[in-house]
Amino acid sequence: MTDDPERSTDRLSRRKFVLATCAAGAAGLAGCSGGDGGDGGSDGGSTEAENTEAEDTNMSGSDGGSSGPALLTGEGSSTVYPIANKGASYWNGNAPPSDGEYWGANDSGSVPGWSEIETDQNLADYFASQHGFEATGERSNPPYRATIGLSHSGTGCEAVTDGLVDIGNSSGPITAELGWSEEKRDEEVVDHVLGRDGQPIVVSKDIYDAGIDQLTAEQIRGIYQDEITNWSEIGGPDKEIFCIGRAVGSGTDTSFRLNMLGDAEAEMPGVDTRQGQNQGVAQLVRQNEGAIAYMALAFTGEQVQPIALEFDGTVYQTSKDAENTIFDSSYPLNRDLHMYTQITEDTPSGTDNREGAFMRMFLTEFGQQVFVEDNNYIPLPTSDLEAEMEKLPDTA
Amino acid sequence: MATNQQRDSDGWLARLSSRFARFAEFVQDTDNDAVVAGAVGGLSLAGAFVGFLVTSPYTSVAVLGFLAAVAYSWVRHQELAARGVTLAMTVSTIVILALITFFIFYEAWPILQDRSGTVLGLTIPGLEMFTTTAWTPAEGTPRYSMLPMIQGTVLVTIIATAVAGPLGVAAALFISEIAPPTVREVVKPGVEVLAGIPSIVYGFLGFTVLSPWASDQFALVGQGTYLFVGIVVGLMALPTVVSVAEDAINSVPESMKSGSLALGTTDWQTMTTVTIPTAFSGISAAVLLGVGRAIGETMAATVMLRNTPTIAEPLYNVFYGFETLTSLIAANYGSSSGLQKDALFVAGCILFLSVLALSVGSQLIEQRMEQKVGGVE
Repeated sequence: MTDDPERSTDRLSRRKFVLATCAAGAAGLAGCSGGDGGDGGSDGGSTEAENTEAEDTNMSGSDGGSSGPALLTGEGSSTVYPIANKGASYWNGNAPPSDGEYWGANDSGSVPGWSEIETDQNLADYFASQHGFEATGERSNPPYRATIGLSHSGTGCEAVTDGLVDIGNSSGPITAELGWSEEKRDEEVVDHVLGRDGQPIVVSKDIYDAGIDQLTAEQIRGIYQDEITNWSEIGGPDKEIFCIGRAVGSGTDTSFRLNMLGDAEAEMPGVDTRQGQNQGVAQLVRQNEGAIAYMALAFTGEQVQPIALEFDGTVYQTSKDAENTIFDSSYPLNRDLHMYTQITEDTPSGTDNREGAFMRMFLTEFGQQVFVEDNNYIPLPTSDLEAEMEKLPDTA
Repeated sequence: MATNQQRDSDGWLARLSSRFARFAEFVQDTDNDAVVAGAVGGLSLAGAFVGFLVTSPYTSVAVLGFLAAVAYSWVRHQELAARGVTLAMTVSTIVILALITFFIFYEAWPILQDRSGTVLGLTIPGLEMFTTTAWTPAEGTPRYSMLPMIQGTVLVTIIATAVAGPLGVAAALFISEIAPPTVREVVKPGVEVLAGIPSIVYGFLGFTVLSPWASDQFALVGQGTYLFVGIVVGLMALPTVVSVAEDAINSVPESMKSGSLALGTTDWQTMTTVTIPTAFSGISAAVLLGVGRAIGETMAATVMLRNTPTIAEPLYNVFYGFETLTSLIAANYGSSSGLQKDALFVAGCILFLSVLALSVGSQLIEQRMEQKVGGVE
């Protein structure tokens, strides 16, 4: 629904844009206001071009050159890439607050979490200026550009410790990726967690309404291993359990077996159906009564309700503000997505202002929704957000 | 027997030598440049094939050589070139078919070897895949039984045939024999349009409308039943059956029907005693074509079934739908590796063999019927 008016204005303005090339004066305005949507493509292109140019200068420039801040570079895991890259794209776009789709608010809507920002600065300007950078006030011209490369977790960790990039993206902890001790990690890098990868347990609406809003890990194991086949056995209505699994051998299937059933090769005889994609799982949960499944948080809703989980004596609540939540890293189906920054002589705290401003963007409600949850990852709970903010340099 | 064979092989040798002699004569009679172009074309095509098999970077050179030879001879000797090119096309079709067959079995071989079983001291590759019943590829001791999928395919095919066969033949009879011309003009193209609907559309309808409805009505746990997959697949095969059966019925000569009517039979008697028996070979070919479509139907089955290979109990329980051979491949190709991937190829082999048996069977039926009733082409 929100897309349609956008698109129609886009089409309208493109026509206007053609006019503008003929009759410059008045139509210039129209070309300006409408160019946003179409700009995305050319924007990406120029970033890449700039990337290769800037690569050479960046090595020396990362300790803060004389002519403005240097390009911010990141590299690593393909799992973290969607979050980091979307963030970098937004950052480089430096959309004005009148945009409404990428930043700020207008008649057709506002970005998520806008109420806690409410600024009249452009996107990158707003975060960069909090760390003492000069705002440009121009669309597509952030105070400094950000670019994210795609490789592997281990490569990302190496690249950041070798000083090749500013930010190393990794889906596993650097201690495991590079075989480091925890002391060495604390000496060399700062670990920023900006989102999580994981799959909360969900149930269909009828089960949730019947009072099942929390299960123990033992109950879930029983359901998936065919020991519990009716909701009445665990305090629900007298209804058979429709147990939904994921494609055999896929990453989500393996990690569920490992973290929930205790063994990557555990048996799952209780599964009634298997689906390859989150969309398919969500549709099945909506269409069928008595369903239980695990899937990405972004697909949950009124009909597909995430439930709390009791694991090893801890109850993980569905509320973001609770002490232990399904958004925590200790929730058994979650894993942290890391962005590492290097501790150097110039930045003993490990995170300089360029990195800090960029990461601050991810730690807002806006960033968590747009970059983390919209990419089917799990946003951080409130307490973790506060702890992560502590790691960033102080705002100017 | 021995002398027979002797004579036969003599005849074979003689035929071969006469064929050679004729070929030599043909080469003599043909212009030299045409012979050279033909030889270059043939050799470079064979070279391209070898190059393709060994993934040589020079494959493109051989292909270009072939194209150049064809272009040259097309300009200078069009008739000869056309003969050569059509022959080459036919040969390549057969070679491609042979290669596909070979690779399906080649890829399936590792697991067939791994899961071999012994019967009466004889080692039969892949036997274990047909004597166990569990499909659990991701567990500690992985098992790869094909039986759940075979059951699924058989059930779906039977239901689909029960839907498409009677409906299709009745519709064909109506369109061709009973309906007034105006109705025929509208219905016939209409049925053919039905054949153009992509299978995912049927599958999606089944997934969002039919399956939840069936789940409610029959008080099933969750959705996905062989019954409704079979019905949907039967509807998908319907246009094929109607179309082919209608052609067969239509091709019964008017003189036979008139003769029957002249003897005083009613229209219905003529249909049942003359038209249908005469067109029986065509009608059975139509139904078998429909069955072939049902066996191979993938998209609707994958979307509507549960994708958890299990043998339904009792064996004829069609209210729970787990997996067919095709949907197994479609649902698992992305996340499979090693033996599991090879097992998917085994499913492919089974499909290949059953479709092969079907088409050979339909040919045999057709031949037999032709002998019996002097059937009509």
